Amino acid sequence: MSRIALLAALIYLIVLAGVGTLNGAMVALALPLVLYLLAGLWRGPEEMHLSAERTISAERAAPGDSVFVHLTITNHGGALEQVLLHDPLPAFLTVVDGASSRLVNLPAHASISWSYTLQGKRGSHYFENIQAIAEDRLGLMGKRAALPTRGQLLVLPSISRVRHIPIQPRQTRVYSGVIPAHQGGTGIEFFGLREYQIGDSPHHINWRVSARQDNVIYSNEYEQERVADVGIVLDGRRKVNEFGGMRSIFEDSILASVAVASSLLAEGNRVGLFIYGKRNKWTSPGYGKHQRERIMQDLALAETGESQNFSSLIIPRRLFPPNSQIILISPLSGGDVSLLAQLRARGYQLLVISPDPVSFEARGLGDSPSVKLATRIARLQREVLLRELRHTGVQVVNWDVARPFEQAVRSALSRPTAFLHAIQRGVGNR
Amino acid sequence: MTRNFVYASIIASTAILTYGLAVNDFVPVSVTVALLGIAWIVLFVRGLTRFSGLAFAIFIIISLASLWADVFPVFALAGVIFALLAWDLTRFFQRLQMTNSPQDARKTERAHFMRLALVIGLSLAGYIAATRIHVTLTFGAAALLALLGIWGISALVYRLRSHE
Repeated sequence: MSRIALLAALIYLIVLAGVGTLNGAMVALALPLVLYLLAGLWRGPEEMHLSAERTISAERAAPGDSVFVHLTITNHGGALEQVLLHDPLPAFLTVVDGASSRLVNLPAHASISWSYTLQGKRGSHYFENIQAIAEDRLGLMGKRAALPTRGQLLVLPSISRVRHIPIQPRQTRVYSGVIPAHQGGTGIEFFGLREYQIGDSPHHINWRVSARQDNVIYSNEYEQERVADVGIVLDGRRKVNEFGGMRSIFEDSILASVAVASSLLAEGNRVGLFIYGKRNKWTSPGYGKHQRERIMQDLALAETGESQNFSSLIIPRRLFPPNSQIILISPLSGGDVSLLAQLRARGYQLLVISPDPVSFEARGLGDSPSVKLATRIARLQREVLLRELRHTGVQVVNWDVARPFEQAVRSALSRPTAFLHAIQRGVGNR
Repeated sequence: MTRNFVYASIIASTAILTYGLAVNDFVPVSVTVALLGIAWIVLFVRGLTRFSGLAFAIFIIISLASLWADVFPVFALAGVIFALLAWDLTRFFQRLQMTNSPQDARKTERAHFMRLALVIGLSLAGYIAATRIHVTLTFGAAALLALLGIWGISALVYRLRSHE
């Protein structure tokens, strides 16, 4: 029942009771209610003619950055005695200073401006129309209006820097870079020997080997370093990323993706990104800062989800050139080993960066003996999983997210290159 | 501040009606009124503000009934005024919750209390005038006036609702 209807019903009741009993004092009891009703009518809100303008200090921000929002509401109509101006904030944005809602008196043809500061989590946040609710002072009559104004704020993922990701793809592109190309030529790392050819630098002559041969001079050959095609696959399956208590390891996967993509693009490689989550999103391969920007924008929008078509991880091979490097960023589940082994068998060089879900979940579960036991069992299962992967020739970085990402990558991938060559030769001979 | 005024209004309305009924030997009814007042406060504390309309209607009916019970008319009027205040301020408190600007809240509170003070002042003045002026009417004339009043209120309500 509306407030006016309730008041009217009570006034009728009092008046009828007073007349029925011929009691003037009883009729007089209706006076406060009647005057209250009249006060509502007096200077009630007129038709609203408002316009709104919203200015956002930045279109893009990092998580935790302060963004200033400036609002100006102009009244083109009559005076509004009490109007609530509410700027509905997108989810995951919070006001840290100022107010997103104002309850003000707006005189005729006047305008009001104010600012507030907000911070947000990763994602693309769309601002909606500003809501205006005008009422009389006693709240009996109300009028609503949506003031059309739009805005968008893209909160990009946090950036973690990694200097170098030592990858070993079987095939590289023609442009020079920093990835060993398994071909002799100019470079830094010793690759082999060949007979001296005219034009070779005297510095490259291997005098020790040449001295053992008659009339033949040998030159050192160095391994060419080139750029490569790298496909980053981000696993956004809900079942492997989300845990009890609304805790998710997905943000750490995003952080790793940003770090890996930034590092590889900075070294001149051609990088593509495939996000397998709520929506499968493919960022076609590209070079340089422009590609980094595209990847950052897609990562800003990445969300976990369950694909209705596939329950297990899918890596579409057509998206990645044969023999290229694939970097999978996933907490992994037991059923993923066979898929990764298949990819490996088809010639892809695989690096799995796996944020450790066991340590992550254990930290949120307390320290009871049952938790310790469960953690131990889960850790053993994960060790078996990672060992199976390593046996198929997949490089694995098991990242405890409590440690800095760069530290985890450096300690896991800084093995002697000879060891990696040996793995490659072993796989190649199969 | 508004929250405290809501408590004060409920307590005042309950206390006045309870006292008025108790001194006229309607002790069980006065205890019921006291319990209803406590229930209204509990509902407000728990944020169940949608029941404030019901509580307001009950307290108006109790005020009306207290006149039959020969309670001093000023007590009944005070019961109505404080119940009206509690009901109004509950709604106003909800509205204040919608803004996160304390400065606006203070300004709006001041303007709202001024408007309420005006309504209550006029009500008291009108009531005093009504009790001083004695006009003897036949039942027909009273019924006609009542019908006129009801028509006036209906027209007013119709106008208010058509503006919404």
